[in-house]
Amino acid sequence: MIPDDPIDRSALAGEYVLGLLDADEAREIEQALPSQDALRGEVAFWENRLHPLAALAPASDPPPGIWEKISSKIEAANPSRLPVWWNNAAPWRWTTAGLAAAAAALLLVVARPPTGPHFVGVLNAPSEQAPSFVVLGGHREIVARAAGAAPPAGRAFELWAIYPNVSRPQALGVIPANGVLRVKDFPTEILAGASLAVSVEPPGGSPTGQPTGPVVFVGKLRSL
Amino acid sequence: MQAICAGTVFPACNGRRGFVRNAMADHESDVAVTALSSAATLVEAVGRGSRLALKRLYDLESRRLYGIALRIVRRPEVAADVLQEAFIQVWQNAGSYAPERGAAQAWLTGIVRFRALDAVRKSRREVLSDDPALGDSAEEPDVIERIGAAAEAGALRRCLGLLDDVQRRSVVLAFVDGLTHSQIAERLAQPLGTIKGRIRRGLAALRDCLES
Repeated sequence: MIPDDPIDRSALAGEYVLGLLDADEAREIEQALPSQDALRGEVAFWENRLHPLAALAPASDPPPGIWEKISSKIEAANPSRLPVWWNNAAPWRWTTAGLAAAAAALLLVVARPPTGPHFVGVLNAPSEQAPSFVVLGGHREIVARAAGAAPPAGRAFELWAIYPNVSRPQALGVIPANGVLRVKDFPTEILAGASLAVSVEPPGGSPTGQPTGPVVFVGKLRSL
Repeated sequence: MQAICAGTVFPACNGRRGFVRNAMADHESDVAVTALSSAATLVEAVGRGSRLALKRLYDLESRRLYGIALRIVRRPEVAADVLQEAFIQVWQNAGSYAPERGAAQAWLTGIVRFRALDAVRKSRREVLSDDPALGDSAEEPDVIERIGAAAEAGALRRCLGLLDDVQRRSVVLAFVDGLTHSQIAERLAQPLGTIKGRIRRGLAALRDCLES
């Protein structure tokens, strides 16, 4: 029974965070957390306010090999189905050629305010010239907006950055249902020279951290 | 790497160049993720499915978190298992991390502490009060001085100073050493019922003070 009295509730949450509750009591708290805002707030309060105490345990080098075990467990749970050509530079050459054709067909006018975007990218399907996504980057934020593109039913689009000389794409985020993705607090300056791609993924995004579905739109970011 | 930063006019890129290049030499690394260095940004990137962000988070946080686990479980092989399970849980749960609810480091600490408490209590290896390992307990007279000097630590240090000795030592023994009510009672030579009541009153007083 989670108490209604705020003082009792806070003390109970404090005991929970301290690890003082027995298994049954702790389970009761965990079951109540999703539905009880006040309790969740109290648990967060104690986790954050008591956190400086954690510094009393001196940092220590973990034994070697732990990261390798973590990595292989994740890999076993989500085997990568990365298409081989992702690691091959050749497709990006024809992509660039395709983009040149698209750029010729599209005059993009962007007024750049002093604090505005540093980069713009237009993504299209390799076989088409019509833009499917427009991406702006600058001031630690990337905004991608779908332009007439929607994922297949039950799937989602995910946006990736591909850097020169880096073999693996970096996930930037899943495009929400409204077609607009904002990636905040991102060091956009490293995007100079990068290409972008959109792949089709399960609703929550790629389970592996790398593209698993077909890549449907590609394009290069241009500096403004 | 040079292809990205060479000739750029962005100061951040120039400032980061040496750091990124070193990281690239150490392990295959995504330039972008390597450049993301705060725990919060990395946890959010892990939530978006970036394994490289998880690796970077491990590099940044594993010594601190292993120390926390080791303090509670006291056996290196158990602490290693705790650290491994905790990072797999981070991988699975990072998508639900909400920055507005608190600092990423506190979130990570919470995962490791609860994993460690589970491990130590499942093993039923009661840490007895005459266990020599308890000789290096965090619960020492100068505990208040040893809490970090950071701003968020200041309030906690001040408020712990308002508790009585038993209350303050109990909070530290529970949070840092992972002791149970009965272990704390034994350690501080107090009846179990008394300890429970004093910790509850101590938490109420601590909350009043931390909020003010």
